[in-house]
Amino acid sequence: MLSALVAGLATGAVFAATALAYNVMFSTSKVLSVTTGHLPMLGGVAGAYVIAGLGLPWWLGLLAAMGTGALFGLLTELVAIRRVLARSDEHLWLLSTLALATMVQQAVGLWWGTEPRPFPRLIPQDFSAGLADQKFWLPIALAVAMAGGLELFYSRTMAGKLFVAMSEDAFAARARGIPTDRIRVASYALAGALGGLAGFAAGQLTFAYFALGLTLTLNGFIALAVGGLGSNVGALIGGFALGLLNALASYWFGGEYQQTIAVGLLMVVLLVKPEGLLGSKQVRPV
Amino acid sequence: MSAEHRRLGLAALLALGAATLPFWAADQYQLHLATLIAAYWVLIGGLNLVVGYAGQLSIGHVGLLSIGAYAFAILAGKAGLHPALAVAASGALCGIAGLLLGLPSLRLPGFYFAMATMAVALIVGEVVLAQGELTGGGVGLPVPGFPAPFDSPAGFYWLTAAAAAVVTWLTWNVARRMQGRGLIAIRDSVVTAQAVGVPVLGAKLRAFVFSGVCAGVGGSLFAALQSYITPDTFHFELSLFFFVCIIIGGRGGILGPFLGVVVLTALPELVSPLAKLGNFFYGLLLLAVVLVVPEGIGRVFELVAARLKPRPVESVPVQPDLPRLARALRSNR
Repeated sequence: MLSALVAGLATGAVFAATALAYNVMFSTSKVLSVTTGHLPMLGGVAGAYVIAGLGLPWWLGLLAAMGTGALFGLLTELVAIRRVLARSDEHLWLLSTLALATMVQQAVGLWWGTEPRPFPRLIPQDFSAGLADQKFWLPIALAVAMAGGLELFYSRTMAGKLFVAMSEDAFAARARGIPTDRIRVASYALAGALGGLAGFAAGQLTFAYFALGLTLTLNGFIALAVGGLGSNVGALIGGFALGLLNALASYWFGGEYQQTIAVGLLMVVLLVKPEGLLGSKQVRPV
Repeated sequence: MSAEHRRLGLAALLALGAATLPFWAADQYQLHLATLIAAYWVLIGGLNLVVGYAGQLSIGHVGLLSIGAYAFAILAGKAGLHPALAVAASGALCGIAGLLLGLPSLRLPGFYFAMATMAVALIVGEVVLAQGELTGGGVGLPVPGFPAPFDSPAGFYWLTAAAAAVVTWLTWNVARRMQGRGLIAIRDSVVTAQAVGVPVLGAKLRAFVFSGVCAGVGGSLFAALQSYITPDTFHFELSLFFFVCIIIGGRGGILGPFLGVVVLTALPELVSPLAKLGNFFYGLLLLAVVLVVPEGIGRVFELVAARLKPRPVESVPVQPDLPRLARALRSNR
């Protein structure tokens, strides 16, 4: 029972981290990118390749994971977001990010192989550690640190305040002389680096697996919608709640219905409280 | 000859070519491919109303296809029902599934709806794997074929093509009448559609249920064609393929998506390097279309045709009434 809870919390932490990456990109562009779940996937694959494949030390793997994520975030903004936002058509960004997500998933599948591969140990630890195993506490600690770090970044630094200004009103921010395009690029790179970091930290739990992206895109989004769009604490709560629910459900009913239960949670929350637990109500000005 | 006549002639030519295909197809494999295209089109024709006309980005239609295929396999195979009845039953079942899925999810905004449909595709896969004694689990399920005269490849092709033709006719009827106009209005602006009295949720729901029925029928035909189905047959990328066909062909038309499914099904078979790239190629195509011509490739042809067609040069000779002009000038002085 306890092991199920801990494993659930750890999985939930990965969802929460994905939801945070969603939030960072959403704050500056009002776009929910389908590529979000692929950032941790890329981080995990890049880390496993550098550490296990090339035999380099772990910190180079960490750099590679974050760098790959950031690069892919940049690419997403440049290729799939910028031109589409300039055209200001309704949901074209959904199509363009979906196309990019498909391409990166397939490219990784062709290069890395379609089987999940193990992720190397980061800290020397015996495999009999049980609940204290690093594969559980690394993602949990990271997700909490990420949420806290983002909150500090938003409230204490100038760059973070620019992000907040853009999320409040991009036109007003532009009128005040904020280079909104550059801030948006920066936010995508930041989200990419954070996503890559999350994939690196959770690699031992999820394995380096090319098809992880879509699952994370969906579950991260559910965590975000449950917690409330735009809220970092909400993302954390939503992710952990989803992970725990999944774990308890597979503990009691068996592991076959995880996705069904996750979507059930989303539907219940959307019916009762459409803006999510901590989200702000969307008011349409008339 | 007006554009309308030419379009009708083109459609008649296409129909004639499709109807006589078993006589001129080079080998059995081409016939199989044509049957596959027709089965896909049964689903895509219905989906086209949802994605192309109403603008609801359903990326999880493979879930409904899977329900239809498994319902057909179980009813016609295990329960021993007549295949025609089984097709009708699986169509009805998928219509109900579409209603149950659409009722909550069509109220959601774009990205939420897309995610909900994607989740359904994953859920159906999970349930199929979990309900092993009904669906065969990961091992799969044999699917019975149709009785004579549809048991030969050519006969089954005609059956599938007839179903595809019926779906095309139905969607065409919807598309050019009030229902279709309402769907287009919803796609372009929900607020405007509401303001002019289009029942937004009702119209979307009707289109979605119709696409569900189509998915059920298409799934039955697809399963009978494959003759053995496993959960791997209905991978999520197939769903993406349906979606890409419509977007690439062009939203808000029928011919465009049809050409899309023909080209995208046939191309990887003819050019083998593309088959290896598979979904990467679909993703690349989707990205290129979205960035360069969001209206779809069908629109490109129209633009090129408009560019090539010599426009009649209008010359408007100017013949001023000189005496009157002179008088006016004089009186003003």
